[in-house]
Amino acid sequence: MLQVQAIEKYYGSRNNVTKALDRVSFDVAEGEFIAIMGASGSGKTTLLNCISTIDTVSAGHILLNGQDISELPQQELARFRRERLGFVFQDFNLLDTLTLEENIGLALTINHMDPNLVRDRVQDVAMRLGIDDILEKFPTQVSGGQKQRAACARAMVAGQSLILADEPTGALDSRASKNLLEIMAKMNREMRATILMVTHDAYSASYASRVLFLKDGRLFNELLRGKRARAAVYHEILDVLGLLGGDIRDVM
Amino acid sequence: MKSWMCWVCWEVISVTLCKLSLRNARRQARDYLVYFVTVILSAALIHAFNGLVFSQELRALSSFMSSLPLITVLVSAVVIAIMGWLIRYIMNFMLSRRSRELGTYILIGLENGQVARLFILENLATGAAALSVGLLLGGLFFQILRAVTLSLFHMPYTFRLSASPKAVALTIAYFAVIYLLALRSCGKRLRRMQIRELLSYDRRGEEEAIQSSRGRRRVFTVSIASGILGTLLLLSGSLLMGIMGAALVIFFLYGFFLSFSSGVPAYFNARPGKKYGTHTLLVFRTLSFKLGTMGMTMATISLLFTGTIVSEGAGMLFGVLFQSRVEGTTCCDIFIGTTDGAPADFGPYLDYIEENIPLRGSRQYRLYQGETRQMTDYLLERTDYYAYYAYDPLMAYSDYAALRAMLGYPEAPAEPGRYIIHCMAYLENALEDYDTSVSVGGTTLSPGAIYTESFSQKLWDGNGRGFLLVVPDECLSSRPVSHSVYAAMTLEPLSEADYDRLRDIHDGAGEDSGQGHARDSYFLLAKDAVAREYASVSATTIFPLFYLALVLTLVSATILTVQQLSQGPRLARQFGLLEKLGMDRREMARTLRRQLAVYYAMPAVPPLLISIPLLVAMGHSFEPGAISGDWQLAGILGVTLGLFFLIYLVYILTAYSSLKRSVLPG
Repeated sequence: MLQVQAIEKYYGSRNNVTKALDRVSFDVAEGEFIAIMGASGSGKTTLLNCISTIDTVSAGHILLNGQDISELPQQELARFRRERLGFVFQDFNLLDTLTLEENIGLALTINHMDPNLVRDRVQDVAMRLGIDDILEKFPTQVSGGQKQRAACARAMVAGQSLILADEPTGALDSRASKNLLEIMAKMNREMRATILMVTHDAYSASYASRVLFLKDGRLFNELLRGKRARAAVYHEILDVLGLLGGDIRDVM
Repeated sequence: MKSWMCWVCWEVISVTLCKLSLRNARRQARDYLVYFVTVILSAALIHAFNGLVFSQELRALSSFMSSLPLITVLVSAVVIAIMGWLIRYIMNFMLSRRSRELGTYILIGLENGQVARLFILENLATGAAALSVGLLLGGLFFQILRAVTLSLFHMPYTFRLSASPKAVALTIAYFAVIYLLALRSCGKRLRRMQIRELLSYDRRGEEEAIQSSRGRRRVFTVSIASGILGTLLLLSGSLLMGIMGAALVIFFLYGFFLSFSSGVPAYFNARPGKKYGTHTLLVFRTLSFKLGTMGMTMATISLLFTGTIVSEGAGMLFGVLFQSRVEGTTCCDIFIGTTDGAPADFGPYLDYIEENIPLRGSRQYRLYQGETRQMTDYLLERTDYYAYYAYDPLMAYSDYAALRAMLGYPEAPAEPGRYIIHCMAYLENALEDYDTSVSVGGTTLSPGAIYTESFSQKLWDGNGRGFLLVVPDECLSSRPVSHSVYAAMTLEPLSEADYDRLRDIHDGAGEDSGQGHARDSYFLLAKDAVAREYASVSATTIFPLFYLALVLTLVSATILTVQQLSQGPRLARQFGLLEKLGMDRREMARTLRRQLAVYYAMPAVPPLLISIPLLVAMGHSFEPGAISGDWQLAGILGVTLGLFFLIYLVYILTAYSSLKRSVLPG
């Protein structure tokens, strides 16, 4: 579904160049749940921004269903984002002025969906994520976990094919984190959502079917979950992180 | 030694605080540029009008100008109250925006009192800077007022830049009162606040913004009904109904804006098809959120806008009314008439005029009683006309031709078998269809040409009330006299002294002739005296109305713009998210434009709905002919609204260009 081919990303001026991504390549199959791990400054968020077309690559190609997104013009990029990508952010990124229903419905409104169908579609997704009873509330009136579930609902309500999650549990307590990860796993399992999640947290990564490790902008290692139990994968992730060294907070 | 050390420490802290205050003041002037510019413009306006209060030159123009200082000071009191509201509002607003920064000062060891002093110092610094620029600009504004006033009196204007120390002192005193009251209240609050309160003060009110209740929704419905009823009562023309109407309109404005954040979402919630239209969701939610936190302010601004449009419109209407009175009262430099058909004796007046006033031309003539009042009845049926005579007034053609020549009007040829109609402009349309013949002294005459130049027809003892019929001289030999007139045109404008002397002769006419109340049998009009009187009335009514309107517009638009610009970070987050969600950039720009358009239209629409019918009713209540038709009334309304929206648009475009740069991605 997604092919990342030898992408590079440089920042800065001619005299002071920082290489954020260095020939990173990997493929994501439809229905996969992938976690990307790495220390601060390893290039995780840059990679996610490039895939989400918020940022552009300096070299290489990113293909989604065979289409090179690095060659799309500005207007097509916006269309690509609203039709194909769903976002879940660490700080939820819900608009305080809208109710949860409206925040979720916003993705459909931007997609120019028939306004008469929006409410039903939102309620359908909200029911599956267990937030149908709080749709009338504003983000300031609900918990962090509920906000993040609303963000998940927004990320998939328009039928987006790829959900990009940037540290989705970063602002949640352990209970809300577990709850959210189970919901994401359910979205992946039952609704066939393809998820690409960037995280610092080994526990969060253990829910993924594959874990990619980045170090200094390069792909350092890859871990496949296979049929192993989540607890076993968790310990294996910790081992890899130990090898990676650096300043990953969860290891410390 | 210890006390010396303490003194040094205190000095160091004071110098640092002063520097910090000045730096913050500079930053404040930059961040709140719109507010800073408004304070400058308001200071300039206040100073310019204070210049009027102390100007001996303008007061000497006419005895009627003596009331100008009192009226200006009274209007200034209202302006000061409004300015005080603006400055207090913005200071509180700054306090809430900068509460974290001020809380941090206390956190690092400054005392509450020192932080309060810091806040006061920087506001005083910006206020003093704005006042200084305002005083300079006010000097120029005063020159504009001086030029306009002198032109009203047809006096020559020469530019003379001079500062009246009394006007400067009064402006400074006004500002001192405004700032001291506002700063005292802010300082008190700062001295009492705890660090925790300061650190969370900027979040205050956000919870209120999303409150919704059935009660509020009911208020929303009731307020709209009361707005409609209130406007209808205002138009009823009755004083009692008008007062009730004004109260209902005020209830509508406050009720509407305070309940909007509940009423409109409830409306859209019941209609999801409308709610999820492309831009509707973001526009109405942003607006209802904003109104949730500033509904009271929005209602007050709406009320001020109503005051603005009504003041401006009333000023324009009064201007047209006074102009029509000047033009309509008399077209002659001197016009003396009798009030009945008794033989006239203009001797005492003529003696003085011949001796003291050089004339370009003069004429004594009579107006006669027509045999019927068919034209009067015709006009009463079809137009807004009030009758004075029980007959249609007549004038001899020879007198008419001589008067036209004296007034410099083109010749009006006599047509055999026809009579000429000379009427006020507003009656022309109705009389164009008049085709009834008239019989005078046994001769039947049919309608001829119509002329509408200014001809002293507004008042009852002029050349007819609104109209007269000009007939051949020979037809009038047997007609009774209506009244007699002496009309003259002077070589130089009639001075106030000459007019006063003529007025003295007029007032003493009865005693001199020993004929009891004979003075009531004459009336005296002088074009320049009427013009001077109305110029004074214009200066004392129209100037204060526009002064008030300008300040109200500036203050209201500033509060709206400062509030909107403070939403920059929130809007930047909103558009950042919309970009990630895939909204097209052009669509984002369109959404921003709509959000701004609705935000600025909200407080302006109710005032339009209230003030336009009110101004139309006011225009129609003037004496017939003051406004020559619906087109003129529409023109007055157009200029009034144009002026208001011109100033408003400057603020809207300032907000839009600033937000477009700072909140739209890329």
